[in-house]
Amino acid sequence: MTPAVQVGLALFGLGLAAVALRGRLLAMLLGLELMIAGVTVILTYQAGVFGDPAGLAAVVLIIAVAAAEAVVGLCLILRLHHAGLSGEASSLSELRE
Amino acid sequence: MAVPVSVYLLFLAPTAALLVSFFFLRPYKPGWTHLPILASCAVVSGSAIDLAAKVYTGWSLDQTMGLWMAAGNWSVSFGVRIDGLSSAVLAMVAVVGALIHVYAAGYMKEDPAFPRFFLSFHLFYLSMIGMLVSNNFVQFYLFWEGVGLCSFLLIGFWTHKPAARAASLQAFVTNRVGDFAFLVAIFILLKTYGDTSFGRVFELMAYGGGPLLALVGLLLFVAAASKSAQFPLYFWLPDAMEGPTPVSALMHAATMVTAGIFLLARAWPLVAFVPGLPHLIAAVGGGTAVFAGLLACGQTDLKRILAYSTVSHLGLMALALGLGRVGIAVLHLIMHGFFKAVLFLCAGNIAHGLGKSAADISETGGLRKSMPLTMACFTAGALSLAGFWPTAGFFSKDGIIEAALEAGPGWLAMALAAAALGGFYISRMLFLAFFGPSPEQKPGRCHEAPACMAVPVGFLALAALTAGGLSHGIGALLGIGRLSSEESLALAHFSWPVFGLGTSAAVAGLGLAWFATMARPSFDWTWRRRLPWLQALVASDFGWRKVVALVASACWGLAEWIGGFLDHRTWDGLIEGSVPASVALGGTLSLKSGRLGDYLWWILTGTAVLLAAVLL
Amino acid sequence: MREICFYLAGAGAVFFSALMLFQRGLYAGAACLLGALLQVGVLLYLAGSPLVGFLQVVIYAGGVMALIVVAVMSAPADDRDAAMWGVFSVPRPLVAGSVLLLGVELALACAGGGAPGAVGATGALDKTLGNVLFGPYALATEAAALLLFVAALALVSGPQRRAR
Repeated sequence: MTPAVQVGLALFGLGLAAVALRGRLLAMLLGLELMIAGVTVILTYQAGVFGDPAGLAAVVLIIAVAAAEAVVGLCLILRLHHAGLSGEASSLSELRE
Repeated sequence: MAVPVSVYLLFLAPTAALLVSFFFLRPYKPGWTHLPILASCAVVSGSAIDLAAKVYTGWSLDQTMGLWMAAGNWSVSFGVRIDGLSSAVLAMVAVVGALIHVYAAGYMKEDPAFPRFFLSFHLFYLSMIGMLVSNNFVQFYLFWEGVGLCSFLLIGFWTHKPAARAASLQAFVTNRVGDFAFLVAIFILLKTYGDTSFGRVFELMAYGGGPLLALVGLLLFVAAASKSAQFPLYFWLPDAMEGPTPVSALMHAATMVTAGIFLLARAWPLVAFVPGLPHLIAAVGGGTAVFAGLLACGQTDLKRILAYSTVSHLGLMALALGLGRVGIAVLHLIMHGFFKAVLFLCAGNIAHGLGKSAADISETGGLRKSMPLTMACFTAGALSLAGFWPTAGFFSKDGIIEAALEAGPGWLAMALAAAALGGFYISRMLFLAFFGPSPEQKPGRCHEAPACMAVPVGFLALAALTAGGLSHGIGALLGIGRLSSEESLALAHFSWPVFGLGTSAAVAGLGLAWFATMARPSFDWTWRRRLPWLQALVASDFGWRKVVALVASACWGLAEWIGGFLDHRTWDGLIEGSVPASVALGGTLSLKSGRLGDYLWWILTGTAVLLAAVLL
Repeated sequence: MREICFYLAGAGAVFFSALMLFQRGLYAGAACLLGALLQVGVLLYLAGSPLVGFLQVVIYAGGVMALIVVAVMSAPADDRDAAMWGVFSVPRPLVAGSVLLLGVELALACAGGGAPGAVGATGALDKTLGNVLFGPYALATEAAALLLFVAALALVSGPQRRAR
């Protein structure tokens, strides 16, 4: 496992930890961005290893989609705030029992 | 071999009569339900006598009519076996049964449940006949259960009387003990031999049986002891007198209770094969005879005296059987059927005349004036029971005494004691009921029985007197188609010592009874006042009823514990508790907590598990 | 040289992300994320594609982070009352353990693959990127563009709807 893949995995893991463990939704979103960053690192590196530009194309598309996803996620969180709920994950519990 | 029409008629006539009475007459014309039944009785009696005549000429039949069930290496089939043993007893049962049916038509006339009585009564008749002509143990057991069922239905016939209901339940449950033993014996036979027909089993038995065969013999004896009221399991019979008199006369005197003795006689090759079992049977029989005879001396209800007398005579039959004399036992069975039926029917006449369902001896007295016919018949029956020459009872009783004489002094003492006691209690009953002073009652209140009831009694009394003449014929009959050996079926030969012993025992009993009743008229009730402890002892059957009550209450307690604790609390509790348990379990293991973090965690954990499965 | 740069950038990225994980306040967390993303941009440049690195810095570290910071600003200020760690039905160490387990498994999965060396080919693939994007993956590119447009609309009209 080359250092690039190690770094990518580390970033992914840390982002996953943030998503899983943090209480605030915005913190979870930050973790999500980190996960995507890790994946792009690995993808770009492997594209260079195999000499296949498809990997780079994937990365470009991922960045675009991640930007859109960040927009939508932030809109949703702002809606939450406007609806009066706190920005914590535990406030989203309407479906329970 | 061609099966004669009589055999088919034995079954078809009662079945047809029952069906017609049940489906057509009972709903629309209940007063006529007895007519097809009486017709079927006549047909069956004719067929039985016809078959007896055929067997007398040397013919016999052991035919399988059809397969009932089969699996693996065992099978059970329907079949008939007409040989000397079954045809002799069949003739007695059919004739006595028919006469008692006629009697019952008069006795039960005013009863509102008249159709139900006749239907149950005739069902019993059919079951008894089926039992007598069965050719294998399983079919025998089927009809054995049939008579047990009818006994239950008929003892508790007057369902509004709690004593009757209790007595019928007691009879059924006590017989169940024997039925269970019988069933286990059948299972062992099926497992060992694969076939339960008499001929086959006795054939195969000769190749050696071992301990299982001894067990089968013992179990069959237990079954016979419960049905034929031998010592430990006899107590249901006196209480069974709660039923109507025809029931007591037919079932609990002449026929049903003899089923156990008949079983032992049928299975005699097996019973004799087991070492020690005949001695056990003789000991139990002799003990029961003396025990019940003693108790009969102290009873006051007319039918109970006769019931204990029946137990005593069944003990005598078992004694004869155990001493190896099957022929004598069967002869006594037949003769006893005649004279005991007479005695019971006369007791029924007395009760009917007094306008009640049961009569106590203190309400009777001096009845010879108002009921001369009944007195004559009763005297005939009494003489026969005591065993005076030339009545029917003499031949069989003398046979038993002779067998006891040959077997040893202990047995002889038992037989003579039973004979003396028999003389005593029946003479006591005769003197107290028919002679002596009459109790205060309006004259003419106790009327003689109507013709419908008197005629059968008369016939039976005639039979009780003269059937002795048939004893040679019966002896010859028993030898035909035999499964047992020649010596065991032989009847007694006349010998003066035996005659002397038997008659003197009977005379001693009679004399003592005269002394106790006619010479001192008040003795019968004064001793009860003066010796209350003796009265209590007799009333509780020398304490045995207390033991039985203890056992019954222990069983009841066990049943309640099983029902209450095991069934209700444990099993039901387990089932009903599974609901809260599942709810609690669901609560603890719930994936649906409403928390985002939990769902995320489940996703992560699931992925980790899947990855682990893939990597490893 | 490039290798040292690579290791530095890698260490920096990991450091900043770990820092972000343990920040209580959102501003601080966003700042740490910004640092991590910039380092990732460098990593991407060094991994062989300057274009992608450039895109990462511009779009991600620039645009997306700006969005996040704006959202953080418009969220009500209740940093002190907010719980830092999440509320779970299972004990928190168990949650952390499962994350760790997943990470270890991923590491094991990726083990033993790839050529040695931290740095890949330089820039040669960038030239063919355009052909690939508008060749086999044209549809995907169009879809991504449409998605971006819709996201922009959401951004524009979403808060406005709320405000009305």
